[in-house]
Amino acid sequence: MELLKRQETWNITYTHALGETASWFYVQLRDHGKLYGKRDAKSGRVLVPPRAFSDQTLEPTTDWVEVGPGGRIETFTIVYEEFNGLPPPPYAFGYVKLDHADTAIGGFFRGVDLSNQEVAAEQLKIGTRVMTKVAEKRIGDVLDFWFEPSTD
Amino acid sequence: MTYLVKTGVIGAAIMPHVTGLKQSLEEVLYDVTQRALRDAGLTIEDIDGIVTGGNDQYDGRAISVMAASGSVGGVDRDILSTPSSGEHAFVMGTLRVASGHFKTQLIVAWSPTEASSLAEVQRLAADPYFHRRLPQDEMGAHAMQANVLLAQMPGLMETAQKVSAKNRSNGQSAYPGIAADGEMGSRYPLKAGMASAATTGAVALVLASEDFVAEHKIANVAWISGMGWATDAAFIGDRDLSQSPALVAAAEQAYGAAGITDALASFDVAELADATPFQELLAYEALGLAKRGDWKDSVESGVFSKSGKLPVNLSGGAQSLNPVYCSGLIRIAEVALQVLGRAGAHQLENVRTGLAHAASGDAMMYNTVVVMRRGEQGVSP
Repeated sequence: MELLKRQETWNITYTHALGETASWFYVQLRDHGKLYGKRDAKSGRVLVPPRAFSDQTLEPTTDWVEVGPGGRIETFTIVYEEFNGLPPPPYAFGYVKLDHADTAIGGFFRGVDLSNQEVAAEQLKIGTRVMTKVAEKRIGDVLDFWFEPSTD
Repeated sequence: MTYLVKTGVIGAAIMPHVTGLKQSLEEVLYDVTQRALRDAGLTIEDIDGIVTGGNDQYDGRAISVMAASGSVGGVDRDILSTPSSGEHAFVMGTLRVASGHFKTQLIVAWSPTEASSLAEVQRLAADPYFHRRLPQDEMGAHAMQANVLLAQMPGLMETAQKVSAKNRSNGQSAYPGIAADGEMGSRYPLKAGMASAATTGAVALVLASEDFVAEHKIANVAWISGMGWATDAAFIGDRDLSQSPALVAAAEQAYGAAGITDALASFDVAELADATPFQELLAYEALGLAKRGDWKDSVESGVFSKSGKLPVNLSGGAQSLNPVYCSGLIRIAEVALQVLGRAGAHQLENVRTGLAHAASGDAMMYNTVVVMRRGEQGVSP
């Protein structure tokens, strides 16, 4: 028998509140091109991305600490599947522990030729030093910054 | 943890690869429920509570229990739902019987592939503040976990490929003709043959209390003698991806309840989470089956192969059939069926004890461990 399919597309827009902590982080990034973490006083750890509280100690975080711009690649992947709202793949992204931070923040890697996977993977090798770069025009978003392997 | 009432699995049904357009999601859920009830020798009238595990984004339908309740018998019957993972439905159902409040439970989880992109669906699980903009889905996180292990352990790729080959070979025997050999979208450093394409699937189990088993003279029971579950941090940048503290904690809880001290010597069969072979390797260590320094030798000498000391993933695992959202609950159902002696083509002889590990989320964030035994040894009172 003839079997039918029904295709549905829903386009719902959500407007999420970032809260004071993420707002302050993104305002600094947007207006000054700098990244900050927030310290969990109980453990002493500087959390990046910043959070209002530590999910380890459940204590409110206290002081802001400027982190980076240098850092070290903790892990990465190269993705060959297209994602909505991003330029065509491949994408190189991963997690970088910025200087003075105790946790790693996710971001894109640039300045790496992704056409040769082996060469790209060598350039992004775990442990590689990277430098944070920020866009000329910033809107206060994850895409305002990215990481490039350090040349020095 | 103390369980008040001894609880066991008395029936299960696995539909790991539903294809075609002959059944709507609700019809699949009806089908898998009826199969599990038949396997248990019960009807829905014998069931006094239901726990379902469903993911709204996968289903394309909000509040998954609304799609399920009519199909699984939830009309005018106690039914609860969890979105965190299919295996958590099992945990909740077991606790409901073990608490003495229920005599039976039906557990159902499902995983359709009707969304245009499972990667985008999973991306919706990321927080919208710091991670949503990244092209990060579960397999991307799994790949980054693999990368950390590979950086620490030269030569591990070869061992991982052998784990994949083992599971895919098991899958061809267990589910001939349907075990997938397709590939999930590529993510470095995963290689071809290390992550199977998502399938549509569903799974259901029937649980019963010791009293119910006695009253209905049910001879064959996979008693749940230990169970543990734990969760790692949600931000993967907070984690050391080379370790799985949540799985270690879950194993301690399950082994403690079941009185397991030497894990490798304690089980006849195991089903472990293997969305990538690196996860199965990590599970060997966290579950006390093989330390990482022994992974290569254990895999190469066949400790976890079909005829080895502890066959792991005789079903082929998620490497062979991966209905992503219910792959974890399927690991538990596969072990239950092995202990019940009804696993089908891949049934091992004389299975008395089994170990199931279910993982879900980014890079094995959620971990659940279940120990099952045939015979009289049940949960510790």
